[in-house]
Amino acid sequence: MNSATCRTTFADGSVAVVTATRRPRAGRADVKCSCAADPQLAARMQQVVRLARHTEARFDSRDQVVISIDRAPAQHERDWELAVVLADRMVRGVWEGGAGVHANGWSDHWQLGRIDGHDAGPGDAILGAALGHLARLNGQPDCGASVSSARAWFPLHSGGINDSLCWVEVSVYPLDSPAGDEEDSIATPGLDAAQQLAVRQVLAAARHFDGRALGRWRTVVRFGQGRFQGNSFELALVMADRLARGREFVPRGRIIASGCSGAWHAGRVDTVEGCAPKCALVLGQAVAGDRLLLPKAWETVLPEGFVAAVKARGASLACIDRIGIM
Amino acid sequence: MMGLFKRGSASPAPDIGALGAGVLALRMPVAGTVPPSCIGVVADRGGRTRRAAAGQRFNPGEHETAFCFHPGPYSVDLLPFAAAPELGLRLAFAVDGPDPRVGQQRFDLYLASEAGTTVEVAQFGRAIEAAVQRELAQGVLALPPCTTVDEWHAFRAGLNQLLYTRFGVTVDDCVPVDLDNDYAQVLRGRIERPADLPPAAPASMPLASDAHSLRRLFLELPCVASGLRLAVLPPGQALFRQQQALLQRLDAVTLDIGTMPALELAAPGRPLDPARQEERAAHSAQAAAALDDTWALMARMSLAGSAGMAAIFDEADRIVANLEYASAARRIAEPS
Repeated sequence: MNSATCRTTFADGSVAVVTATRRPRAGRADVKCSCAADPQLAARMQQVVRLARHTEARFDSRDQVVISIDRAPAQHERDWELAVVLADRMVRGVWEGGAGVHANGWSDHWQLGRIDGHDAGPGDAILGAALGHLARLNGQPDCGASVSSARAWFPLHSGGINDSLCWVEVSVYPLDSPAGDEEDSIATPGLDAAQQLAVRQVLAAARHFDGRALGRWRTVVRFGQGRFQGNSFELALVMADRLARGREFVPRGRIIASGCSGAWHAGRVDTVEGCAPKCALVLGQAVAGDRLLLPKAWETVLPEGFVAAVKARGASLACIDRIGIM
Repeated sequence: MMGLFKRGSASPAPDIGALGAGVLALRMPVAGTVPPSCIGVVADRGGRTRRAAAGQRFNPGEHETAFCFHPGPYSVDLLPFAAAPELGLRLAFAVDGPDPRVGQQRFDLYLASEAGTTVEVAQFGRAIEAAVQRELAQGVLALPPCTTVDEWHAFRAGLNQLLYTRFGVTVDDCVPVDLDNDYAQVLRGRIERPADLPPAAPASMPLASDAHSLRRLFLELPCVASGLRLAVLPPGQALFRQQQALLQRLDAVTLDIGTMPALELAAPGRPLDPARQEERAAHSAQAAAALDDTWALMARMSLAGSAGMAAIFDEADRIVANLEYASAARRIAEPS
């Protein structure tokens, strides 16, 4: 991809489009920015992009990225910074957000990947204060924050066009004194009592499997959307929890998981319903670096060509019957 | 044996007893005999090395340095992901017997270009950790959550080859372990003192000095170039041309490194601003990081069949471009 766009909302409510283009470097600067013939703003844009690139593992000096905003923001407005950073990442394939990304956010710590806040932006946008750190685009914990939070995604199958990936986020914070009951230290704001009980039981049992996890953490669990049925979120929840507690290898992209278990204390993963539609949904959403975790029972019934298609996208797939390594 | 202590009265005698336990290699200040079950390596200033077996006498000439190393085995704990501090890898490795097919053993080159007075096992382990973290972050090695047996074997093959090509050590065993790090304690510590390190840079490795980076580049780039020259190519002209072009560019970079201006001088007799010196040192560290990438690429090249060669050469193009970029930036005294 040689061009990427990202939209952003200005303080007056209007929407501007950030366009990033990639071309051979040919001895020019690594980043070139332009915005309505305002050299100060262009210099700030260049600085933001260069600082944010410090958080990337892979360095490529062969490309020049040209970034422009179609309309000039007001003086001292900074809410466009996240959109510029994301456009720069998308055009180089560092992060794949798909079409129609809308982002608002600003930061004083781009070199650490931290995002300090945002001023405006619609509800479906990527908002700086909610995101908090660039690593969390892929659900990974921020290496400098005192609250460790990680996300995993699971497919929600509702029969047709409303199928979507939903995220579950687990945030952990050390407890001052060992808790009596593990389930009491797990909060799930926004869930009804039955779901709260399910989440608590799954997490407590999965931590039992871990051996060293009980009684150490205060936990908050959030879901991308609160209304769903079934228990296929359990594997994603457990993986997000392990990632947040620093007990799991970190994928380069997101974890997308579907599975449940009747025996989390033994680390077992059982099968769930809806193999074919969920595979189709996951295949549409997976991008390079993502890790797909599916129940072992699905291995023999996966759709034709699914494994090859996942591999071609750069994602990796594992059908597992227990969590943990091998 | 007595000669060991006669001339070297100025520098303290090295602690030979620690070899094989906490210390991997020692620099020997004066001529002497190689201690039992160790191997001596004498390196000259151009990075050429020769070995001496245990019990033999080694006699470093003028401008030569002598090292003794114990082949091991050793064991270190690695942290493959900085974000997962409770999950580690326990690595058992050794410096294997010399490979008769190559002119210079990789471990000898490591000693000549990177070793200081002592190479401690813990410090060597941190260097291995940084190399593994770098490869995992770039996606060259893959250790995803819920690793399957096949993925683990692929990781092990890549890891073994990486450590043999980069450090010259042979991996005997590698198992996942629970480390004793208490993540809760780490998080508590961050409340008082927020960590201000970018996550891409492994925190365990301090920034190498400019002289160290340039020395590494000067000694190792010719070896990388000869490794690339020896690559087995599939029949056809396309890759051959790419290889020749890459070799030419690598030679140009090698020449560039060999004639690099001094860090503290903007022009003869005119000192350079200290802030600008730091930038220069950062660029040479960047070039050294690209050199690490070339060693990792050499490891991949020896594992890849002829089908994977096109991807390898594309990656080589990126790395050589980074080398050119960093060495050109290191050369500039005052940016216009």
